[in-house]
Amino acid sequence: MRWLLAILAAATAAGAAVLWVATMPRGLPRDVLAAWPEGDAGRGEAVFWAGGCESCHAAKGAKGEDRLKLGGGLVLATPFGDFVVPNISNHPEDGIGGWSAGDFADAMLRGVSPEGRHYYPAFPYASYTRMEPQDIADLRAFLATLPAVEGRQPGHDLGFPFNVRRGLGLWKLAFLSDAPAVTLDASDPTVARGQYLVEGPGHCGECHTPRNLAGASDFARWLAGAPAAEGEGRVPNITPGGDLGTWSAGDIEYYLETGFTPDFDTVGGAMVAVQENMAMLQAGERAAIAAYLQAVPAQK
Amino acid sequence: MKSLAIAIAGAAVAALPALGAEDPIAVRQALMDNNGAAAGVAGAVMKGELAYSPVVGKAVIYAVSATAAAYGDFFPEGSDDAARSNASPKIWQDMAGFEAELAKFQDATAKAREIAGKAGPADADAFKAAMGPIFDSCKTCHEAYRLEN
Repeated sequence: MRWLLAILAAATAAGAAVLWVATMPRGLPRDVLAAWPEGDAGRGEAVFWAGGCESCHAAKGAKGEDRLKLGGGLVLATPFGDFVVPNISNHPEDGIGGWSAGDFADAMLRGVSPEGRHYYPAFPYASYTRMEPQDIADLRAFLATLPAVEGRQPGHDLGFPFNVRRGLGLWKLAFLSDAPAVTLDASDPTVARGQYLVEGPGHCGECHTPRNLAGASDFARWLAGAPAAEGEGRVPNITPGGDLGTWSAGDIEYYLETGFTPDFDTVGGAMVAVQENMAMLQAGERAAIAAYLQAVPAQK
Repeated sequence: MKSLAIAIAGAAVAALPALGAEDPIAVRQALMDNNGAAAGVAGAVMKGELAYSPVVGKAVIYAVSATAAAYGDFFPEGSDDAARSNASPKIWQDMAGFEAELAKFQDATAKAREIAGKAGPADADAFKAAMGPIFDSCKTCHEAYRLEN
């Protein structure tokens, strides 16, 4: 009996050790970081608008130059609890001004902080993980040109078990992947570019795709629309089977550029900030997004 | 086109006394449909799909300014029925903010009426300049106070 207990105890300890190791926050491999590209701030500005960083990290409703002050503070009230958006301005202590290129890459592609902690996927690294190293490096270079904003934000206010960060290691094992969200004919470079923009930096699926119980995107229902993560209302279905079913590619481009639907209703809600970012992109990028949205599987 | 836009505006305004007290949601939706139809005409002009004429510009501006004058009267407490209405609960939580948006809308339509004068804005560019601040007010109000976007 005693030896049986001893074996059980040993097996439990071994299981715990495996789990402990499996859920450890892991940054990018050293050889990848050793070959990390130099960033270019000029190119990084386009990545910044495509990524929509300031939609969450600037003050709510910020316009003009204030969109470049990334002091955080917005509270995202979700079913998991309240997430407080951090300061990612260029401030050396309160923001990310003191980060290395590798710190930034680990955050964007692996959801790991410089202190080696898991970030919550409210920070949409589950999309950003599909981004190219060059774009990450360019974005880092652009962020370093933005104003330093003083003030650290308080931590998130989450209920159990979501307040146990280590649990995010399991979440990542199950859900974090840089594989495409949907399989498309990759022969059209415009569609392929749109796929990169929508599924990677644009992180459109974070709001437009429903989530499973663990809060991960349900790829079988990609872009099919979802309840708004915060409060009431629905985020629309943007596949050809949904609210955009009658829109032409030109209609989608025009909407992203001007904020007007084909019947001249205006963009509203959280999409206003997103549309204003999309308006900053080159016309060809909006055309690529439109081509991709017309190519994805129709959802009801 | 002129008679169409005027008919739309007229129908919406005529409906007010009958429905207003019992069903404010139906009235404000009719008003916003009227606005949407007028915006559709403006959009067709802006995209170059419809040839501009000053009477068209005037009809659009007068239609939206009628909505601006009446719209705020149809949001009594308790008219936030989510099954029928896309009005955000924020309207009643932050009535002062909503009223500031309405004031912006009314201000923009009043200025557009000045530009329109008796004959309507002279050309498409004058019309676009008059409509710009009106469309801006649509967007900022929809950003904060409308569900379903």
